[in-house]
Amino acid sequence: MSELEVQADFAARAGQPGRPRRLGVAETAAGVLALFLLVSAVAPHLVAPGDPLGIDPLSAFAPPTRAHVFGTDESGRDIFTRVVHGTQYSLVIGAAATAIGLGLGIVLGTLAGMLGRVVDFTVNRFLEVLFAFPGLLLALLFIVIFGPGVATATIAVGLSTAPGYARIIRAQLITVRSAAFVEAATVLGRTRWQILLRHILPNTLAPLFVLATLGIGQAIVWAATLSYLGLGAEPPTAEWGALLSAGRTYITSAWWMSFFPGLFIVLTAVTATVLGRSIDSRMRHA
Amino acid sequence: MRRPAPTRRLLAATTGIVALGLLVAGCTPTDPNEPVGEPRNGGTLTYASGDAEPSCLDPHVGGNFPQALVSAQYLESLVSRDDAGQIIPWLAESWTPSDDGLTWDFTLRGDVTFTDGTAFDAAAVQANIAHLQDPTTLSSTGYLALGKVASATAVSPTVVRFTLTEPDSALLESLSQPWLAMESPAALERSQDENCASPVGTGPFIVQSWVKQNAITLVRNDDYVSPPADAGHAGPAYLDEVIWRFIPDSASRYAALQSGEVDVIDNAQPDTIVQAEQSDSIEHLDSPRPGAANRVELNSGRAPFNDVRVREAFIRSANVDDAVSSLFQGTATRSYSALSSVEATAVSNAALFDYDPSAAAKLLDAAGWNESDAEGYRVKDGVRLSVEFPVSTNQSIPAEQSVFEQIQATAKETGFEVKLAPMDLSSWYAALASNDYDAVSAPYTKVGPDVLRILYHSDSIVPAPSGYFANLAQVSDPEIDALLTTAARTTDAAERNSLYADAQNRILEGFYILPLYDQQNHFLLRSNVVGLRTLPTVAVPTLYDAWLNR
Repeated sequence: MSELEVQADFAARAGQPGRPRRLGVAETAAGVLALFLLVSAVAPHLVAPGDPLGIDPLSAFAPPTRAHVFGTDESGRDIFTRVVHGTQYSLVIGAAATAIGLGLGIVLGTLAGMLGRVVDFTVNRFLEVLFAFPGLLLALLFIVIFGPGVATATIAVGLSTAPGYARIIRAQLITVRSAAFVEAATVLGRTRWQILLRHILPNTLAPLFVLATLGIGQAIVWAATLSYLGLGAEPPTAEWGALLSAGRTYITSAWWMSFFPGLFIVLTAVTATVLGRSIDSRMRHA
Repeated sequence: MRRPAPTRRLLAATTGIVALGLLVAGCTPTDPNEPVGEPRNGGTLTYASGDAEPSCLDPHVGGNFPQALVSAQYLESLVSRDDAGQIIPWLAESWTPSDDGLTWDFTLRGDVTFTDGTAFDAAAVQANIAHLQDPTTLSSTGYLALGKVASATAVSPTVVRFTLTEPDSALLESLSQPWLAMESPAALERSQDENCASPVGTGPFIVQSWVKQNAITLVRNDDYVSPPADAGHAGPAYLDEVIWRFIPDSASRYAALQSGEVDVIDNAQPDTIVQAEQSDSIEHLDSPRPGAANRVELNSGRAPFNDVRVREAFIRSANVDDAVSSLFQGTATRSYSALSSVEATAVSNAALFDYDPSAAAKLLDAAGWNESDAEGYRVKDGVRLSVEFPVSTNQSIPAEQSVFEQIQATAKETGFEVKLAPMDLSSWYAALASNDYDAVSAPYTKVGPDVLRILYHSDSIVPAPSGYFANLAQVSDPEIDALLTTAARTTDAAERNSLYADAQNRILEGFYILPLYDQQNHFLLRSNVVGLRTLPTVAVPTLYDAWLNR
């Protein structure tokens, strides 16, 4: 085959419906990492059998070696064990916060998109007020009122992502509302609620799946930020942001204490983004 | 054991060779311990504090350590203390107590003026004592220290008479503290806000400006004449100007020192001290604070620590030695005393604080905590053996919070569930005020052993109007009360010391406290800062003798 023919063949295959595109290196790596993170979250003892809180003062501040691949912290706790056991906090916080944000976004977006002008106007102005604050500031405000902790941090991150989702859902809903099949359903005499539940929402929510995958990555970073600031998980809990914060004190003498938790936060966020984009492009091509 | 990384060894070796080379070349790196020639005038020194920025620069108001740190540069006290712990003259030249100990006459220096031009005289002292005792000043530390002072009256321009309600063996120690320093009576006449922003004293520097959340600028007092008797020189300070900055983050503070952006930092972290000791360009000044040692106080006022056996079990189950050696890396020494090691009267008893989990287990069995739940914690009558431990993150450096985490981990092996709750200062005060704690660590600085009365006399369980009480172990022992009250009235030094020794032994043997180490007070300074020392009163640095060798 000539080069031109190869390109043509590739283009034809890529455009062919039903035939899966080949997985890229990034996607494969993201898949493997996602699997590793899931196992770490569900069964951390399979990956790191040690006790994440077990101290060993005499081997404190040990740099990465074969015995402690990520080194040890100021109390001689194994950083690898702590990072692996911390996965569950980060993933649960990320997923729960995204669920809260998305759930609230769906409610607000549907209200605005379905209940006429007055409600639409009110919800929109409310969302604009929320948009005036940076998301993290909104989360901080919530924590100041309700006190720090894992639960409040999760809700706070969820709340602060909700306005973005609500906007997107409202726009999507308005587009779908004027589609031909909705008109057809109206003509067929379906009630408003039937149309909403059976025709509009399913077509509105599908694209949100991609957004949610991307959102989990962002939520994990935000939750880690809050813990880093001392407003999320409390020490000695092995949450990544809290680990990063604890390591910062010793950053000039024990870089591994903050490097590895930081690396995991970055990798997780990148994994979520790569997977989200991949799903997105597949759905577009499907 | 931790070994230095190869790169660090290489670095140390290289530094050593370079240092040797410089030595051979006859150009020694600067070191404050070696003669460095004549002090030079001029220059600006930048000090970066890790303590909270005070809300008021007048230490009469409130009275905490951050205020003492900065006010020692512009305010002075009636007396000071030398390295041996003896009281020495400062603004007061001499003093004579009456035979009954109820009247003290202080003779003042006659040549001192406040930096606003007001004369320092007996009337000024009278005004200062009145200011401290005025409830609207909201003084806490100074107010408590003057508890037995009924009045201070000017007898002549240079003699002021203190009248006491009962003999006070701690009067001179109290007056030596920066929280009882002398301020211009004319300046005190201003509103409190104004005086907080620019207090006026007799010290070697003058507060020129204060940009909140940023820095305080101090300039030299060219008319300065009144250094304490143990100062390194006479006349005005060497430095033209001092910039007093606040950098709360310890890593940033150390980075600023390394880069030369600042010349002196306080609250140095153990790992940076170890690094600095291997460096030629940074020096370490260690000056533990007087008063109480840092300790964990066990609340004997409620279960489970109302039982002495449970208190002893907790102390025996906490492996503090390993925690201190790993976290402080040799920069702090374990304490077995209620008092700081700088107090000559401190009594130490290491045998009471051995780490002994099996003895702890037996004590818990004997105290009725003989069942265990699924998580391995001891249980009695269906209640888990839990210890609420609120931690003030503003008052503990990260290494200390890690010590608490290690105590939590080792005490768990014996069956204690230690619940560490890091919180900001106001939540922490609230937890203490509502008696919602079993263990707590609260620093307390006071010159001399009288701090024992404040911390362990049952009177101190009664909260002050602010809601705070200093006896956080809630020690209520008539015998300890009697010893402390008598000691505070006893002016004979030997008799006083023996009373304080008895009281300390009773406190230690009652297992009310778990001593950790002296209140850490480490400064790091660039090697070209010469002559910096701390005042032996409460170990705050004084920049009066300091000069820049550059």
